[in-house]
Amino acid sequence: MWWKALSVVLVVYSLLAGMLAPLKPGITRTNPETAKSGQTVTVQVFGYNSFYTRSAANELRVWLEYDSLHALAGQDIKILSDTSLEASFLFPPDLPNASTSVLLNAILDHPKDGVSLLPGAFELVKNTDTAAVAGSGAWNRNPVGDLHVIKDFTFPYRNVIYESIRNTYYHVPMWFALMFLFLASVISSARYLRNPTLENDRRASAYAETGLFFGLMGLVTGMLWAHYAWGRAWSNDIKQLMTAVALLIYFAYFILRRSFDEPEKGARLAAVYNIFAFASLIPLLYIVPRMFASLHPGATGNPAFGSQDLDNTMRLVFYPAIIGWTLLGFWMAQLRIRYQRLEDRVMDLE
Amino acid sequence: MQKIAAHIQFPAYLWRAIYMNLKRLLLLLHKEFLLEFRQRYAISGIVLYVLSMVFVVYISSIKVQAQVWNILFWLIVLFASINAVVKSFVQESGARQLYYYQLTDPVSLILAKILYNTLLLLVLSLLAFASYSLVAGNPVKDPSLFALVLLLGSFGFSIAFTFISSIAARANQSATLMAILSFPVILPILLTLVRLSAIALRLIQDTSYQRDIINLLAIDTILITLTFVLFPYIWKD
Repeated sequence: MWWKALSVVLVVYSLLAGMLAPLKPGITRTNPETAKSGQTVTVQVFGYNSFYTRSAANELRVWLEYDSLHALAGQDIKILSDTSLEASFLFPPDLPNASTSVLLNAILDHPKDGVSLLPGAFELVKNTDTAAVAGSGAWNRNPVGDLHVIKDFTFPYRNVIYESIRNTYYHVPMWFALMFLFLASVISSARYLRNPTLENDRRASAYAETGLFFGLMGLVTGMLWAHYAWGRAWSNDIKQLMTAVALLIYFAYFILRRSFDEPEKGARLAAVYNIFAFASLIPLLYIVPRMFASLHPGATGNPAFGSQDLDNTMRLVFYPAIIGWTLLGFWMAQLRIRYQRLEDRVMDLE
Repeated sequence: MQKIAAHIQFPAYLWRAIYMNLKRLLLLLHKEFLLEFRQRYAISGIVLYVLSMVFVVYISSIKVQAQVWNILFWLIVLFASINAVVKSFVQESGARQLYYYQLTDPVSLILAKILYNTLLLLVLSLLAFASYSLVAGNPVKDPSLFALVLLLGSFGFSIAFTFISSIAARANQSATLMAILSFPVILPILLTLVRLSAIALRLIQDTSYQRDIINLLAIDTILITLTFVLFPYIWKD
């Protein structure tokens, strides 16, 4: 019984913490977004979840950075509001490399908010008109350093996904719950083959049903996420396709169960197919996605995501969410088993 | 050294067991060929099915690019295979299954069927290849790789379809069940095959396609092991 209570506690915790904790401050854009080299330009920086007015302008620092050897610090920083500030940059006449334009990352350091970063925020174009070159800016006069790293309960700010990063706590645990439930279903099927009782068959089908439900939820949360992050709910990503196929296998399992006149025969053949289908899930979910490009994080190689996709605060919500949703899935399956048991008893009485 | 060599020598009864099993396997294979030969209309039907499908595909899209050629070819092979294999358990009645049950063991029976179906599917895919390249041109640039892909494809299709057809044969509407049960299971194999044959057609440049072949063999190994483990449970009726 304790694990049912635990599942409720963990799911409620992951819902509350996942929804209420704010994002770290970030930079949304700069204005202007492009300039020519060898000029002095005043650039406006727009922040997200930031509180620029909380500290004095001389404590704030802002850079446009190409790499560790090429960074420009902003001068004359003026704070306009909590979410916007101005700084002037004296661009050197030469670019860090031989190309005609480079993309610079915007980095902002705030003593109270911490560091925020926007990769590829600013485009610096090589000025071909050498007569127009004024001033003598040089790269890395004030290198990026002494950054304030603030440790608090906030989620990382990521471009493209922004606030939808919270979906990590709902989308990913669905797949974990699905995997554990399908595993339980396969184990019940194997036990049915060794010991053909009605109870083992009920378990196998209830776990598969609940697993299928979690699969559909995972697909729906994934499509919602894809709608915001990739622009379309369904973009024929290899993992979306393989998951859809994996769910088709289990739909076929339920059709197979019901297409026999004798329930005992149907149960046995469905148990056999369940084991076969689970084994073919492994290539579907772990081998095939590695052969094709994917939009998912950790796309080339990893079935899940890499270490840079989760930070320690996210782990504090993510792992409890996985455990909570998995336990909730087993509770749901158990209710289904008990319901089926009662229904079978009613059938016997009639 | 000699001492070790003496230890790893197989005892005589093991050799006899291997010999008996091989003999049984060959007998069962012989039975499959005999059945096919007696019901010549079935194999003629499949051959005609392949030829008509090639023509239907050709007429509906006369000028095909290599990319489309690749996909259409594998679709023809897929549908021809499923139709060729679906009969392997339906054609033999329950009474005859009972007779085999007393004569032999399930692993030999399913292995004989898988081997026979591999040969059948290889012949069918070669026929599909010959007739399709006759009408729509032959874009294959690496024939040896393509031949290997055909062989691996026939083997993978044969394992999955033979096993699924043994399940579907027990149900009432076996043709529908055969399709819905086998298509999701076959998809990883089919995707790998299409990718490998695209490499053989030089549509994709990939020098490390050996990894795909290993993947394919791994999937085949998983499926055939499960077939050996699970078939005895289907067979007992």
